[in-house]
Amino acid sequence: MVAPKISIDHTKCTTPFDCKKCLLACPQGVFWVLPKKNVKFQETDQKEPGAWELLAQYRAMCTGCGKCVEVCPVDALTIDVL
Amino acid sequence: MCEYCEMYGGGTKWYLNPDNYGRQLYSRRVPGYVPDAISYRKERDKLWFEYFEAVADEAENVEELNTGLDALIRDNEPCQVVPLQDALKMMELVQPMASMSCICRKYMRAADERSPAEYSCGGLGVGMLKWERWPERYRGGVNFMSVDEAKDWVTKFDKKGYVHCVMVYGSSYGGRPFVGGLCNCDYPDCYEMRHRLDYHLEHHLLRSHYVAMIDYDLCNGCGICAQRCQFGAIKMERSKWDGPKANINMFNCFGCGVCETGCPMGAITLVERETIPELKEVW
Repeated sequence: MVAPKISIDHTKCTTPFDCKKCLLACPQGVFWVLPKKNVKFQETDQKEPGAWELLAQYRAMCTGCGKCVEVCPVDALTIDVL
Repeated sequence: MCEYCEMYGGGTKWYLNPDNYGRQLYSRRVPGYVPDAISYRKERDKLWFEYFEAVADEAENVEELNTGLDALIRDNEPCQVVPLQDALKMMELVQPMASMSCICRKYMRAADERSPAEYSCGGLGVGMLKWERWPERYRGGVNFMSVDEAKDWVTKFDKKGYVHCVMVYGSSYGGRPFVGGLCNCDYPDCYEMRHRLDYHLEHHLLRSHYVAMIDYDLCNGCGICAQRCQFGAIKMERSKWDGPKANINMFNCFGCGVCETGCPMGAITLVERETIPELKEVW
């Protein structure tokens, strides 16, 4: 079966590392959060908007349960079950 | 035989061969050769994403991508499970040894390990002396440990039921592979375990040189081993005896030994994989 499509609105989800609600709530551990901004010899600021990016890296593991959509405080996530 | 022992064992298990620790320190650069870990990582990340999407979409080229990616991992950053007994031997072989924050937990669950009490990943060898160049990786710093401290550190995580894995850095990191880390892993926030168990990328996490075996006479059916097993290899068998007994599926066993160290009855032993005919080539 083809895995559900997870869309992330990065204009709404700007500080995923600081928020981390979906990362912690997902029963299947589908999400990754990666530093988008890399400055040599500097640690990326967790609270800086746009410095980190949320990714649905393990989408194949998604069951479409909707837990992430439920916990997202900025409504940045949508799941389309195909 | 384990393929890394064949190439780098020198008569022992490859991760117990001191040669495999010092290599980065002593290797002479071949003129014109430039190790390029950054472009390797970019390439790997791209292939990862391509492969994960292909699996999610059930694309036709899944197997092809798997083979290519697995070969890349085999040459560049394989990982193998080691039980506590061997992890402790490793600690005696290498200095410096430093604990640091785990990058998998950081990326998967936004875990923010910031003090030596929390650090769950271990860096081995001279590479650690350059840690300050990558503050994003080594957030909050690193904690250099003596041999005894390192042993206590590994034992602490073993008590909690974490699986120990030895990390290797291969051709893209400067020629021949060297042992660079020892991590304490669990499912699902360790990407080595995810990629092996969920995505069948074998060289991301090879099975250890051991398999666990149960002694039914000693087992009291408490179920601690089944609770500790990260690989789903242990079930509680309900019939035949007065009470339940643990049953270990040796084909699923990764030989991490957390069931053995957790068993209050001493009913589980680790046997050498080589001695079990049908398992000696299962890695």
